[in-house]
Amino acid sequence: MREPNIYGSDTLEQEGTPEFAPAAADLPPWGKTTVVGAPVPRIDGHDRVGGTAVYTRDIALPGMLHAAIVHCPHAHAMVKRIDVTAAKAMPGVRAIITCDSPEAKIPWILTGQGAFSQLLDPHCRYEGEEVAAVAAETPLQAADAARAIVVEYEVLPMVVDYEAATKPDAPKLHPMGNQPSPTRTSQRGDVQAAFAKADAVVERTFRTPCEPHVPLEVHGSVAQWDSGKLEVWDSTQGVYAVRDSLAIAFKLPLSSVRVVSHYMGGGFGGKLELGKYTVIAAVLARHTGRAVKCATTREDTMRSLGNRPANTITVKAAARKDGSLVALDASLLGASGAYPTGATSGYLFLDLYTCANVRVVETSVLINAGQARAFRAPGYPQAAWALEQVIDELAAKLGMDPIELRLKNIPTVSQLRSGQPYTSTGLSACLKEGAEKFGWDSSRKRPAGKSHLKRGIGVAAGMWGSPGGPNATVILKLYADGSVNVNSGAADIGTGTKTIFAQVAAEELGVPVERVRIEYADTASTQYAPSSGGSQTILVNMPALRTAAAAVKAELLALAAEELKQDISKLSVRDGNIEIAGDTKKVPFSALRSLGQRQQLVGVGRRAPHPAGRVALPFAAHFAEVEVNTRTGAVRVVRYVAAQDSGRVMNALTFENQVLGGVTMGIGFGLTEQRVLDRQTGKLASGSWHDYKIPTAMDFPVDFQCLPIDPQDTECNSTGAKGLGEPATIPAAAAIANAVCHAIGARVYDAPITPASIVNALASKGRK
Amino acid sequence: MLPTFTYIKPTTLDQAVRELATPGARACSGGTDLLGCLRDRVFTAEKLVSLNGLTELRGVTELANGGLRIGALTTLTEVATHALIGAKYQVLAAAAAAAASPQLRNQGTIGGNICQRPRCWYYRGDFACARKGGDICFAKEGENQLHAIFGGDVCVMVHPSDTAPALMALDASVRLVGPRGTRTVPMGEFFVLPSKDHTRETVVEPGELVTELVLPPPPALAVSTYRKLRARGAWDFAITGAAVALGLRGKKIESARVVLSGVAPVPWRVEAAEKELVGHELSDALIERAAQRASANATPLSGNAYKVALVRGAVAEALSDLRDKG
Repeated sequence: MREPNIYGSDTLEQEGTPEFAPAAADLPPWGKTTVVGAPVPRIDGHDRVGGTAVYTRDIALPGMLHAAIVHCPHAHAMVKRIDVTAAKAMPGVRAIITCDSPEAKIPWILTGQGAFSQLLDPHCRYEGEEVAAVAAETPLQAADAARAIVVEYEVLPMVVDYEAATKPDAPKLHPMGNQPSPTRTSQRGDVQAAFAKADAVVERTFRTPCEPHVPLEVHGSVAQWDSGKLEVWDSTQGVYAVRDSLAIAFKLPLSSVRVVSHYMGGGFGGKLELGKYTVIAAVLARHTGRAVKCATTREDTMRSLGNRPANTITVKAAARKDGSLVALDASLLGASGAYPTGATSGYLFLDLYTCANVRVVETSVLINAGQARAFRAPGYPQAAWALEQVIDELAAKLGMDPIELRLKNIPTVSQLRSGQPYTSTGLSACLKEGAEKFGWDSSRKRPAGKSHLKRGIGVAAGMWGSPGGPNATVILKLYADGSVNVNSGAADIGTGTKTIFAQVAAEELGVPVERVRIEYADTASTQYAPSSGGSQTILVNMPALRTAAAAVKAELLALAAEELKQDISKLSVRDGNIEIAGDTKKVPFSALRSLGQRQQLVGVGRRAPHPAGRVALPFAAHFAEVEVNTRTGAVRVVRYVAAQDSGRVMNALTFENQVLGGVTMGIGFGLTEQRVLDRQTGKLASGSWHDYKIPTAMDFPVDFQCLPIDPQDTECNSTGAKGLGEPATIPAAAAIANAVCHAIGARVYDAPITPASIVNALASKGRK
Repeated sequence: MLPTFTYIKPTTLDQAVRELATPGARACSGGTDLLGCLRDRVFTAEKLVSLNGLTELRGVTELANGGLRIGALTTLTEVATHALIGAKYQVLAAAAAAAASPQLRNQGTIGGNICQRPRCWYYRGDFACARKGGDICFAKEGENQLHAIFGGDVCVMVHPSDTAPALMALDASVRLVGPRGTRTVPMGEFFVLPSKDHTRETVVEPGELVTELVLPPPPALAVSTYRKLRARGAWDFAITGAAVALGLRGKKIESARVVLSGVAPVPWRVEAAEKELVGHELSDALIERAAQRASANATPLSGNAYKVALVRGAVAEALSDLRDKG
């Protein structure tokens, strides 16, 4: 309920490192690895594709009931009266709660200014807001009963256009108005003075659409109570975050709340927080003394369960003749939805390029639509869409190559963090080696084509500004037969986290990957890990696992040295055996009597703090070639190179897959996806997968190359990995937009670039 | 959630027609459109009459006159890949192949494809729109970027079928069986404009069933194609499309059909473009003139003027394709 402020630059301060005894110390960096980095197939791949993986929706507990939620059909309305008489009498119905029930008052959207709403709020501020819920014996009975609940609404004036919502006469969502947090300005230097002295100045306004996350697995929970303790299965990226919020909602000690999230079908930031469906399941379970499943619908994910907020961004940028950037002035407006949350990020303007004079003004405004949530690099793809297009326009004005202009302005320090140096920065290498692989120079000179099919290429750069939290604990157990259990609270949201856990344990402990079992994402039985979001899962948890594995290895070697009467310095581990230097004999771990007697060796690992005075962040540069059909407005991405400095590649397969997914998402952002709300009613028009157009395999370029750039970072953490999920999508749409401009000689400022955009851009070019 | 309905699978056409005549009954074959409508509560059903036991309605047969009979239950995949259709009626094969996704084409039938309900987001969504018996067409003043630029009236939806314009370009006709016997309706008279009746898309009466499509023999020298413009590479309806069929003598066009998809509440035949083509050879200049003609007299709404350019583009692409092939 209390959302982490994932959008603001107030997250700049690296999270303080808690002190544990003994103090956590990272191992020295790996040199060459054998298992880590290899193309190891996912250890749960067969289960995922074969249908045996149990997702939250598959959970069926004995006696379990099913919940259905009644949603407000209006964009803005007040509930006047609810009649549950008919619903109550329907077959299978076991419990009904409405906004008149005591539990309805559970506070929701907790902020510094207090709670903005409640679990079932009679004041409905968007279409889809929850007003009542039913638990029944079957899903169909629950749905029928929910439809039989009669709700009378007073429909209120609404606003869904976020630019209109800032106006003084706009309908107000909350008593304090539509802008609960003041406009924030971040600046350094003097932009006005710099503009006056610059050789080239460009000013443009860009718009980006609202995009729901549309994870393949929709949100949902199963809840049951056991002797006053709450157990919840939830499709979530962070079991510990959900546990904490549930403990607040039900006023329970943390130890009385168990949250489990095993197989997950995607989150993208939309499953970082506690959902109302979870609390509704828990309330209904308490009423009935039965387990209750509350599964949401696809429409819910489109309307209510988070989105990437629409942005309007005006950027003024200036450079000198030699290409050095002298000023960036950006004004960002973002649509939070019906409840406050930051809806913009100025980070890229402030830190991607060296620039002495920067001003960023950020405003988030409320509208009568579902609340925004973190979405794969919150605010960054929107900012990259604007910044990276303006950089291209500056290059054009200066007569410079877009890559040359970018290379002219690569920082080696974080200007936002008082000039602290990066542990490594591969931004230059991403641009240079990516350009080389792409064949930038020759492609850029090639004419767009005389026919109606125009080819063009474009580039965009990006970075991700969060180094992740350092606090995680991992426990590793080596059993008597040489098999291994890794225990971590981290969720594997589909990115392959479990497989990388197994690889790291195998690498460190000399055991085969197949002998490592991962026990994960269960607050009752696994160790604390932060939520799997913000590209931090690998770099937070794997150093802790290395430490745990090293402790077990040290203990194992000591036991072996004693038992085998060998000098410990001559012993090493490999493929589940103890190997002795100068001796061909191998002793399987399982043959060690001392291990058998102990049954298990246990190592506890924590992560060391971030390096002092240094900043560890990932970078990227993407290159796209497009073909634009000027007759039909169709844009086809035909060729793509994604150069990623995310430090060490932990698994060659999951790395490429993560980048492929990020680029696909960027194609959706740049070309096809757009939530459409009806301006007359504020209700969702694009409510299905036909009308909300995620890209298909046919929209992805056949010629796609992922180019990992590994700067061999020995300082960032003991794995050398810097995080990949977010930076793999940040520059994608902007690279495509720049390629489109190169192809047709006209720029499209608003995403997505649809056939209509191309027709209009060509028409306005014709008028010039 | 689907409504509660009974399900029956007749084995004879007579039985199917009898069952369909009962109130609340709806025909179901591939179900790719019907189940979505029921699930989204666009309309409801008390009884689903499965047509899948009527094997005689499946498959493609060559007629004695050189034409073709396509059973209504023939899947889009079968239509798209059938050798005779591919050889003699390319526009239909291309249109069937351009519809939906491979899974939907394997399941969906040609009869269902021409009878499918509108894809307008107001019609499919939680809006009491005119076509569903409400008072207004929300698209007129609302989100109409995908809507009609021709033939709009009380309703400005666009007909979603790809195969219907192709069949119209081929001068196909539809065979219907109902309680009062059989009848044959030319494709050009099969669809209903909203100005005539905005609550129905076709002339199919309650209890009636599309049993087959009849294609006349093509002209001795015939070329045809379908060009579909869409927002993404697959699994999408046409923003604009052009089905073009030409009868040739040497290089000279003797007959022409130009039918647009995605721009009107019915497949939209543009006779002005056809007239422009007849009597000439395909040249860049002719293609340009025909494309201009096809887009003339459009009446775009607030958000879809771009479709006028797309009509020109789709027709030009289709004609260029035929010229290159010829």
